[in-house]
Amino acid sequence: MSKKKISRPKATGSGPVATASQATGPAPVATASQAMGSGTVATERALRTISTGPDTVAPVLETPATPASPTSPASPTEFVVPEWHHSLIDLDDVDPVYESDLKGLLKSWRRGRATKRISQVLADGYVTIFSVLVIVAMIGGAVFRAQTASAACETQTCRVGRTLLPWVMLFAAFALTLVVSRIFGPVVASAAEGFWLFDAPIRRARLLRGRLVAVLLAVAFGAALLGAVLAALTGYPPREIAEWAAALGLGAGGLTAFAAFEQTFARTWLIKVLQWLLGAAAFAALVLITGVAAGWFSLDLDTTLTTEIVIGVAAGGVVLLVLFGVLAVLRLGEIHRARLVSGGTLISGMQGAAFAMDLGLMRDILVERDAMAKGQVRPTLGIGRGLGALVGREVQRLWRYPKRLVLFVVSLGVPYAVGALGLTTFNPFISALVLLIAFVPLLNSLRVITRTRGLARLFPFTNARLRLACVAVAAGLAAVWAILATPAFYGLGSGSHPMSLSRALVYSLVTAGAGVLAGVRWTSAKPADYSTPMMQTGFGALPPGLMFNLFKGLDVAVVVTGPLMLGWSPWVSVVIGLVVLYLVSGTFDMSEAQQMQAELKKEREAMKAGGNKPGGPKTVIAPPRRR
Amino acid sequence: MAKARTPVLKVQNLKKAYGDHVIVNNFNLEVWPGEAVALTGRNGAGKSTILRCLVGADKPDDGTILVNGETLRESNPVIRATVATVIDDLDFFPDLSVVEHLDLLARAHGLPDSDDAVDSILHEVQLVPQSGQLPGTLSSGQRRRLALATAFVRPRQLLILDEPEQRLDVEGVEWLAERLAAERKDGLAIVMASHEPTLVKAVATKTVRVGGDK
Repeated sequence: MSKKKISRPKATGSGPVATASQATGPAPVATASQAMGSGTVATERALRTISTGPDTVAPVLETPATPASPTSPASPTEFVVPEWHHSLIDLDDVDPVYESDLKGLLKSWRRGRATKRISQVLADGYVTIFSVLVIVAMIGGAVFRAQTASAACETQTCRVGRTLLPWVMLFAAFALTLVVSRIFGPVVASAAEGFWLFDAPIRRARLLRGRLVAVLLAVAFGAALLGAVLAALTGYPPREIAEWAAALGLGAGGLTAFAAFEQTFARTWLIKVLQWLLGAAAFAALVLITGVAAGWFSLDLDTTLTTEIVIGVAAGGVVLLVLFGVLAVLRLGEIHRARLVSGGTLISGMQGAAFAMDLGLMRDILVERDAMAKGQVRPTLGIGRGLGALVGREVQRLWRYPKRLVLFVVSLGVPYAVGALGLTTFNPFISALVLLIAFVPLLNSLRVITRTRGLARLFPFTNARLRLACVAVAAGLAAVWAILATPAFYGLGSGSHPMSLSRALVYSLVTAGAGVLAGVRWTSAKPADYSTPMMQTGFGALPPGLMFNLFKGLDVAVVVTGPLMLGWSPWVSVVIGLVVLYLVSGTFDMSEAQQMQAELKKEREAMKAGGNKPGGPKTVIAPPRRR
Repeated sequence: MAKARTPVLKVQNLKKAYGDHVIVNNFNLEVWPGEAVALTGRNGAGKSTILRCLVGADKPDDGTILVNGETLRESNPVIRATVATVIDDLDFFPDLSVVEHLDLLARAHGLPDSDDAVDSILHEVQLVPQSGQLPGTLSSGQRRRLALATAFVRPRQLLILDEPEQRLDVEGVEWLAERLAAERKDGLAIVMASHEPTLVKAVATKTVRVGGDK
């Protein structure tokens, strides 16, 4: 592309546009609009404006009398614009866009620019794969042992638990499916696609069809896998495991198709209603298990009906999947671009966090998005002064966002449900894990205080006191949980008591403490530091602490409840819990300790240098005087 | 106002390097009550690095920093109560509104008339219409105003600001200059980095050019 000075418009019918644009703004704008094929229309409009406007005066372009030579620099008054070698596009000559061709082109570009094969990517990602395999192996082993224990239990509590617990999980999984579908889309597009493709005159549905099918398949497969694990955990034989897997997979797939259909109308209220209904159903089933386990009432469930209902759920899932899948495909072109891109942007943000194995950052993104969606609140006056103001705000937060308590309330039923399955040994660990998840939404302020130091610096307290203030409400709730869950550890309703009531209270307290400490650890653990030197490992160069990111929180639950599962004295767990409390409360700050040590060292060296200095002051010790 | 015996801030032989690249070396500074020091200099000269060291966000490689005669430690509550900062690492609670942030800070610092202080500063930074908004929905300029408000709503002896004029409109810069000048006259010690000549001229009693000419 060469450059030349515009002396007068070229005889292509676009003269007035060039003149106007040059007089009012940079010339390349006009040139670009012509390149996009709208030059003719714009020309006519511009001509009308110039010739018919009542007070319009056609702008006059000051042009040089003679063009400057290419070697001489242009004078400041001259307009220099690129010369584009093109002609106007006649729209009649333009071929329509075929979406399949466009997709093929995109695929070709992506493949052409790919620097790695999929096998190489997998090989590079073997750290992640290795971590996942380790976790799957751990979970698999635990499931196998739990299934053996659970299948052997034949009390009424165990039977009710075995019958109802999968329903709890099924309803919870369906509710979760709807939540995730609503947050992400479920049909998504990247920001680049939104910008480059969706402005073009294409049929959007054709580009998105394959994506919807992929999402439905992924959800169905993932949910089926979860269903199989849960059914195995509750001690079902292989055939019933397959039935539960089918029910969960097809049901979740059907609900995702329904969510996609709703997305085409940009509606969410129906999904929200459904998700709350399903959540309520899960909670009701959990209450039934808890009631039987605690001996509040007895239930005589016909277990033969279960199989038929499960198959019914699977069939219902197929109907939903086909019906709403087809309807969603037919209406895919109606989804707003902003809605598509919003989910894609969220995914890309979370992908970044996932690569760093930073689950906390992933949650931050969701929390921020939630706050953005809410936008505004009715401000409330704070209560208290000093640290009390922080604790007061925590209480006010709960009042404002009671949704955060849902998981906590649900977690109350977990020790009863686990006890009902006969998994008494694993009860502290499983309950602590559920509490970890339940406490994370209650520790939002702790997360913000610890992720960046700027906010903590505004408050006139030490880091440890700030953290304790942010955790105070969660700790209080943990104490309530411990009292309410004690009967589950005592074995109320099961007929036999594995331990005394006082010991059960200690077990419950340790479990609740492990849960809240694990939550604190998960929330406040530092992410992997990529600015420090990498460690050379068998898996390549890794920042220190990257691998531990996946296990933060989980480690505390294991360490604190481990002695209980091994049958040791609960006081061992109490001691370990206190040590963990000291470490996670921020009382022990490694960097601060190092800084103080360095200061002390500097002082010692200064004193030493002063003492050794020739001619320096000497300390004279007076000889003892005899009386 | 009685003359103080010790400077609010005393920096001796400050050194900070990233790897082999020395950003700041042998930097000395004393700031007394009623003094405002402006750090100026080209981008990358080390102004923000110095300020990050002064608030404890970065650890200097060498040198000492004393606040009211006490060695700087970031989590020291006395120093936190003394020094108000607005540098680039400030975060907000995503679930608390603008006015609730200011209310929480004022109460945490034990202000007896926190409501009046919050109302007053909210009007000053012109965030009254946004008082109920969550921080995520604020524009970048409004977030900057909120950040400045967090420094003015609480008691302070030393104010450390990193390019406070950033993202403020002309009117906002004028307000900031007036406010800082008034604070300085009332005995506040100020250290700020700035590229805004009008702000430096209106506020600073001493200007330190960091990094020299390129």
